[in-house]
Amino acid sequence: MDFTLNEDQVLLRETARAMFGNECPPELVRDAFYDVTSTGPEAASSFFDRHLRDWAALGDAAVVDLCLFMEEAGRVLAPGPVWVNTSMFLPLLRAIEHPSADLVASGQVTGTVAVCGSDGYWVLNNDPMRSFVPHANEVDVVAILSAGNQVSCVAVAELDLQEVATLDRSRPVFQFAVPAGLDSTEIGAEQLAAVLNRGTVALAAELIGVGRWLMDTTLDYVRERVQFDRPVGSFQGLQWKLVDAALLLERADAAVYYAAMCLDAGSPEQDLAVHVAKAAAGTAARRWARDGLQSLGGIGFTWEHDLHLRLRRAQASEQLLGSASWHQDRLAELIFAPD
Amino acid sequence: MQLALGAEEESFRADLLAFLDAEVPEELKGGRDWIGDESPEIPKWASEFQAKLFDHGWMVPSYPPELGGRNATPLQTLIFLEELASRGVSRSAHFGGYAIVGPSLLEFGNEQQRSMAPSAIRGDTVWCVGMSEPDAGSDLASLQTRAVPDGDSFIVTGQKVWTSYAMVAEKCFCYVRTDTSVAKHKGISVLIIDMDSPGLEVRPLRHLTGAIEFAEVFLNEVVVPKENLVGELNSGWRITMGSLAHERGALWVESVSSAQRALEGLVEIARRQGLEQDGVVRRKLAELYEEVHSLRALGYKGFASFAQGSSAPEHSFMKLATSELRQRLYAFGMELQGPYAAVVDPEFVEEGGRWQQSWQISLAGTIGGGTSEIQRNVVATRVLGLPRG
Repeated sequence: MDFTLNEDQVLLRETARAMFGNECPPELVRDAFYDVTSTGPEAASSFFDRHLRDWAALGDAAVVDLCLFMEEAGRVLAPGPVWVNTSMFLPLLRAIEHPSADLVASGQVTGTVAVCGSDGYWVLNNDPMRSFVPHANEVDVVAILSAGNQVSCVAVAELDLQEVATLDRSRPVFQFAVPAGLDSTEIGAEQLAAVLNRGTVALAAELIGVGRWLMDTTLDYVRERVQFDRPVGSFQGLQWKLVDAALLLERADAAVYYAAMCLDAGSPEQDLAVHVAKAAAGTAARRWARDGLQSLGGIGFTWEHDLHLRLRRAQASEQLLGSASWHQDRLAELIFAPD
Repeated sequence: MQLALGAEEESFRADLLAFLDAEVPEELKGGRDWIGDESPEIPKWASEFQAKLFDHGWMVPSYPPELGGRNATPLQTLIFLEELASRGVSRSAHFGGYAIVGPSLLEFGNEQQRSMAPSAIRGDTVWCVGMSEPDAGSDLASLQTRAVPDGDSFIVTGQKVWTSYAMVAEKCFCYVRTDTSVAKHKGISVLIIDMDSPGLEVRPLRHLTGAIEFAEVFLNEVVVPKENLVGELNSGWRITMGSLAHERGALWVESVSSAQRALEGLVEIARRQGLEQDGVVRRKLAELYEEVHSLRALGYKGFASFAQGSSAPEHSFMKLATSELRQRLYAFGMELQGPYAAVVDPEFVEEGGRWQQSWQISLAGTIGGGTSEIQRNVVATRVLGLPRG
């Protein structure tokens, strides 16, 4: 496999990084963290409206490109439904050849995806409820998936959304009762798997970005913080701990882009690669949230410091689209599958 | 970023596979550790295979043909190492000659010394490398073996330890102290020392598996001609960095491939032991799979950096990660055998005791070639940019 980024990919990464750097400062992220409410489409983040609708078409692009973008979004903890809209909703509409897919690609219509029953597992079902529907209050449409690979698109206004508060206020999740008598379209099993895989790898890429911010912030801090007449980052015990965490993040980063390459190439290894990517990325992000907090000491434990926003994002996103242990159990099924 | 490589690379791979299918000796088929018995001798089939690799340009592919290669690109070198590793095929029984001595002579030697490189790489001349001493392990720069100038010679006195294949080597690429008045790493030189020199004694060392793979080397006023100095006087520390630069971006492949094969073996043991439905076993195997698979990806990512001329920080993690991983893989392989985990009797144990043997050998992996502790220090300061303690 060749990890070299081509010129277009380098440009994409640099453009996204510059855009997020210029337009999504920490103060905006904190404001969004506090301002999220469940009053429907009007509550969609203004940052998302002004800047991220333009990027929705990345949902049609190569998975590698999408991941490069999502990593930058994760780094700044960009508010709004960009992950679910771009990485899952648009690809899903394309898969069923929905007439509104182009409107989503152009940023005019936004959506989210509803999969989980009340047990919270991302497995298609016929539960009367859908739960853990991300950003439902910030989008126009919900694509409801049901057993038998059925897809129904419903305007958010027609749903009775109930927010289920989680640790991560930047990614609100909702539940609702599935309306009766919905029209539905069948999606092919392979196409459904492709949609879920793409969404999973994109989320993993976002988690890599979250991990990178945590790592950079932690390293910067321990280089500067002086106690006992030396930077605390010079103590070997702390150094060794951070090396182990850095290794986790580096191998997770590589695993995410390997999975993206597999999806783009239609490789028979793609399911294995996606399970590895999500498990590794989620573990690395949570590890850095934990070790970063510990390294920052008291100041890391404050409301004021931005670290806890990432701690919350890492903790809550672990459970979206399957936790590390859920993915490892799926890996085991593949490993032990009869040849 | 893409999975597939180009047509030229695939053609290179095809040539290699054709050669390997035709020429890999029986003794290497199916992969093996070099340590199978207790004899320190280099098997004849191993010497012949190494010579054949050299003559066909497959010994060090990135070198020109006269040095046993075929002017391969870095990516082709990666393919080469990957294919060999996935088959458990080693190029040589003694890596010192082709991996350290040959390249060092080429980079730092005078004309006469450079002419010794081909036989070092081909394996016609067996070399050992004298580096570690009883009081100089991780702190290699503190080495004390002394070389005192005396007319046309140096007189060398001291002791080396962990010297691989010193028992069968003809020559030693030996790091000595030639200046005691300067900072320790600034007073080191390299001398080529004939192993049959008067005053040089080799005492084999048995490591904990019972095999003899390295030795102590005692030097008692050994006379070494001045022209055996490699490079400049007191510039030996630079030469410790002189190993196969072209392959540095791909050295990780062997460890990862070996880990991959171990993982596949674990799945087989789990099946044979009736443990494939055990939730704990499944979860643990999946974790190991995740680790092996993501480390492979990290190696490739580092290779892309390396191929573009960067220092590839990704690779600083690889030795640390793979050496610790392999210990866990082999230990788990033993654990899966339940009460028979510590049994080495071939009649009673899986695969002739391979897992027990591999586990023992893997214990050296976190010590030799830079301990895990040193690796962590290096990563912390040079990759993460943390201040020295």
